[in-house]
Amino acid sequence: MKEIMIVAEHRRGELRDVTWELISKGRQLSEAIQGELSVALLGKGVTSLAEALKFKANRVLLIEDDRLEYYNSETYERVLTQLITERKPVLTMIGHTATGMDFAPGLAAHLKLPLATDCIGIDAKEDTFSVIRQIYGGKINAAVSFLKKGPSYMVTVRAGAFPFVEKEPLPGEVISIPSPLTDEGLARRFLQYVEAATGEVDITQADILVAVGRGIKDADSIPMVKELADTIGGVLACSRPVVDKKWLPKGCQVGTSGKTVKPKVYIAIGISGAFQHVAGMKGSGTIIAINKDPKAPIFSVAQYGIVADLFKIVPVIKDKIKELKK
Amino acid sequence: MDFELTQEQKDIQKAAREFIQGEYDKEKILEWEKNHTFPKEVWKKACKLGFIGIHFPEEYGGQGYGITENILVVEEFCRKDSGVGIAVTLADFSSEVILRFGTPEQKKKYLVPVARGEFISGGAYTEPNHGSDITLMGTTAVRQGDSFVINGTKTFITNGTLADFFVVLCQTDPHAKPSYRGQCTILVEKGTKGLDATEITPKMGIRLTSTAELSFSDVRVPLTNLIGEENKGFYQVLEFFDESRIEIAAQGLGIAQGAFDRALDYAKQREQFGRKIVDFQITQHKLADMATKIETARLLTYKAAWNYDQGRIDPKLTSMAKMFAGKVAVEVADEAIQIFGGYGYITEYEVERFYRDAKITEIYEGTKEIQKNTIASALIGKLK
Amino acid sequence: MNIIVCIKRVPDTADADISIDKSGKDIDKSGLAFDLNEWDSYAIEEAILLKEKFGGTVTVYSLGGEDSNESLRKCLAMGADDAIRLSDPAFAGGDGYATARALAEALRQKPFDLILTGTQAEDDGFGQVGAVIAEMLSIPHVSIVNRIEVQEKKVKAHRELEGGLEEVVEVDLPALLTIQTGINEPRYVSIMGIRKVAKKEIKVLGLSDLNLKPEEVGLSGSDIQLENLFLPPVGEGAEMMEGKPEEIAQKVFEILKDKGGMA
Ligand SMILES: Cc1cc2nc3c(=O)[nH]c(=O)nc-3n(C[C@H](O)[C@H](O)[C@H](O)COP(=O)(O)OP(=O)(O)OC[C@H]3O[C@@H](n4cnc5c(N)ncnc54)[C@H](O)[C@@H]3O)c2cc1C
Ligand SMILES: Cc1cc2nc3c(=O)[nH]c(=O)nc-3n(C[C@H](O)[C@H](O)[C@H](O)COP(=O)(O)OP(=O)(O)OC[C@H]3O[C@@H](n4cnc5c(N)ncnc54)[C@H](O)[C@@H]3O)c2cc1C
Repeated sequence: MKEIMIVAEHRRGELRDVTWELISKGRQLSEAIQGELSVALLGKGVTSLAEALKFKANRVLLIEDDRLEYYNSETYERVLTQLITERKPVLTMIGHTATGMDFAPGLAAHLKLPLATDCIGIDAKEDTFSVIRQIYGGKINAAVSFLKKGPSYMVTVRAGAFPFVEKEPLPGEVISIPSPLTDEGLARRFLQYVEAATGEVDITQADILVAVGRGIKDADSIPMVKELADTIGGVLACSRPVVDKKWLPKGCQVGTSGKTVKPKVYIAIGISGAFQHVAGMKGSGTIIAINKDPKAPIFSVAQYGIVADLFKIVPVIKDKIKELKK
Repeated sequence: MDFELTQEQKDIQKAAREFIQGEYDKEKILEWEKNHTFPKEVWKKACKLGFIGIHFPEEYGGQGYGITENILVVEEFCRKDSGVGIAVTLADFSSEVILRFGTPEQKKKYLVPVARGEFISGGAYTEPNHGSDITLMGTTAVRQGDSFVINGTKTFITNGTLADFFVVLCQTDPHAKPSYRGQCTILVEKGTKGLDATEITPKMGIRLTSTAELSFSDVRVPLTNLIGEENKGFYQVLEFFDESRIEIAAQGLGIAQGAFDRALDYAKQREQFGRKIVDFQITQHKLADMATKIETARLLTYKAAWNYDQGRIDPKLTSMAKMFAGKVAVEVADEAIQIFGGYGYITEYEVERFYRDAKITEIYEGTKEIQKNTIASALIGKLK
Repeated sequence: MNIIVCIKRVPDTADADISIDKSGKDIDKSGLAFDLNEWDSYAIEEAILLKEKFGGTVTVYSLGGEDSNESLRKCLAMGADDAIRLSDPAFAGGDGYATARALAEALRQKPFDLILTGTQAEDDGFGQVGAVIAEMLSIPHVSIVNRIEVQEKKVKAHRELEGGLEEVVEVDLPALLTIQTGINEPRYVSIMGIRKVAKKEIKVLGLSDLNLKPEEVGLSGSDIQLENLFLPPVGEGAEMMEGKPEEIAQKVFEILKDKGGMA
């Protein structure tokens, strides 16, 4: 029986959304190849997670070990090397997340499995797979095939690329697999989690967010956008480069490594729409994007688009709304 | 023949571009423009990175490059912003007089701090009654013991209220025949008793640069402040112009290119009559003409610089470059405003500032008419 | 502390109008400005900061054509000591894996304490090269690092996770870290730096210098192959607001009132 294996991602006792997305896509692919779906779950004291996953797949492969309490690329690589070597899944699917980006490339190289990273489309094709990736910050899509022939392949999957679809339950079982880990020293050790300092602002509670990106060009133009936010009763947010350049505090950052927001209205100004940003704001009620590039990927998630130079349009919108509000 | 910049020159050009792009801050610049503020921080950083004094030898705090490298920096700075570009790259104005004619002590004392961003320099030639014609100066310097005593007025002096020292062209021998054989260049430091600077404002353009009137009343400086040989001042200044005018040409070139960049961008965006204005052939032709003029100005300017660095001083070529690049700056900035239409007339859109800033390149360091005189006299001299 | 940094020169496409070229397998790169990959500019800066603090050397590697020298020289001008370019016709068409393979072989020849790469490249976004190099060299790695503290024979690194959470890990040296943007402020290139570079030679290593066979690198050594490029489907896409800025502002006002509950 052909098997598709997904690696469940969890942190601090909770499964991460990407796990459900992997399961949905994995299930669809396993049906397409008339195979089965397995979920590899590595951790310590995660049986409740295994139970939650059980009926979504044909089986949960549970490896529990004290040494797996915290994610570590080295322990993951050892456990998954053994698991994949034994079970020979035709496809291993891992999230293209901070975790997946960390361990998948090394694991694939170690196992000599062909790997395609950050996939947003995956199709079974005879005994191989064809995938779609995005390049140039999401401005271009690339259809990609595996050059090296399997029988096993690996992909990392962009979070949010595939929706979670509820399907009829499967007769899942939890199979406990002994951990191959020993006390042999690890060259990498987990120490602790820390919350990044975010400053005072809380952008997650706002009804209206006005988010500014690198298109703003310099710190001194931020007040112009702030004025717009003030005028419309919104809160200022931003994309990552704006925080990297220290123009706004980390607490304003929307995206995978920042905040996930769901305001009623989200106005994206001079933001290209990289997936890491979109992941944090696509749940917004209504998205308005202002960008001078008509091909900017942000326009494919927005409901309303304005192709314009932000320096020209933002003051006009601000003034006009001020006037209309009177 | 090889029209390519060297690898190193390309690296310098790219470094200058990245620096000025990183420092470019439109809102701040508009504020400085409004308040006539010199962009001090940008200047300090530019010095620290070696852009200013790039053409001074290493022993005097410089980078040991030639004027070609210097003008590449000037062009890039002015291209990104005419106001900041001119203000920052003129911060070492006239220090070349010391560089070419000064004593090692003078060079150490004045050039090193200029390159380090500790000193701003100025050159005082023009007087209220002697502009294009500096063959006789009203500002006099008289020897008294171990000092020169200077009296007179200089006007339109760049960096006038900012500079830490000035190179001042003085009449030391009012009876010399011809009069310019009785002139000296003398160093005068800021704060010397009797020296006063008054800002001349408002002015049409280059508002991030100080322009002032200097008055000298019994200003006493040591005889050791004389630059080079006695009575050679006029010749030194003319030779200095052969170098500095190439820099002014580069200002014009950069301004033209910057105005063009903005116009091209705008033309691709702006729609009228249901199409982008860049789709109108008349706009395309305008752009083609602008680009051709710029390229011609660039060839002349680079050639003049290259020639200078080869050790060949050619006043004719320098004047051609200065005159032509200045003219191109004004014409291209003018056309850029036209492409922007009404928006071009509004400060926010920058090209009107480029236009105002462009104009000075046709005036200072010798008006375009004076450049023509230089060109013509070289030509006719040759015909003889 | 001897540090190696792997860098890449990429076209700047965020602000550019890009289109697919005739081959259908690449974008039309004419007229695009190129620069050091954004993530790499933070990696090289971090390496230089570490060198300034702890001494040692910084060596930069790039796999690419002669154009890549521009970015290597930039790194040298910023403060790196040596630059090496991997270049061979056989390297053409390589994916992240094949690129890492060639780089790893080159790095094997050089003693080091730390390797830094960018987290990903702006152009093809594999996000893979760093971790694969580490695997091939059998050294530990940490991805997406936004803070580094060097300790005796080991490094404490902050790894950026989702939602503003960071994970602090410790790795023994030698190790490889992939650097995230924002970790520092990349410096400008100085003229002093350029002068220093002018005297430096960028060494070139080819296939034969790396003990690799042609089938191990380039397209033939790759896991994946590009079939064709296409513009992302717009899906339902956005309703584009057109008209005068004031009219657009009027529409934005209405949306804010209807959907945003703006008072
Ligand atoms: C592990 C990881 C985590 C990340 N996490 C996040 C995250 O949480 N949040 C995040 O935002 N990013 C994140 N990123 C970064 C992400 O990949 C992008 O680099 C980033 O989102 C780009 O930000 P931007 O859209 O502001 O800038 P750019 O991509 O540079 O886009 C700028 C946009 O402005 C437009 N523009 C320029 N000038 C004007 C003008 N005058 N008028 C109108 N429009 C103009 C341009 O057309 C362009 O589309 C992460 C990356 C990695 C690798
Ligand atoms: C902003 C600014 C900054 C300046 N910075 C400095 C500085 O730092 N140091 C300094 O010394 N000076 C400086 N100048 C002065 C500048 O160099 C002079 O203004 C310039 O040389 C012209 O002199 P003028 O103004 O006296 O005009 P004039 O010489 O009176 O000229 C008036 C007109 O007559 C024309 N003309 C004059 N003689 C002839 C001729 N023989 N044939 C044909 N036409 C002729 C001129 O071309 C011009 O069109 C600056 C000027 C300005 C406006």
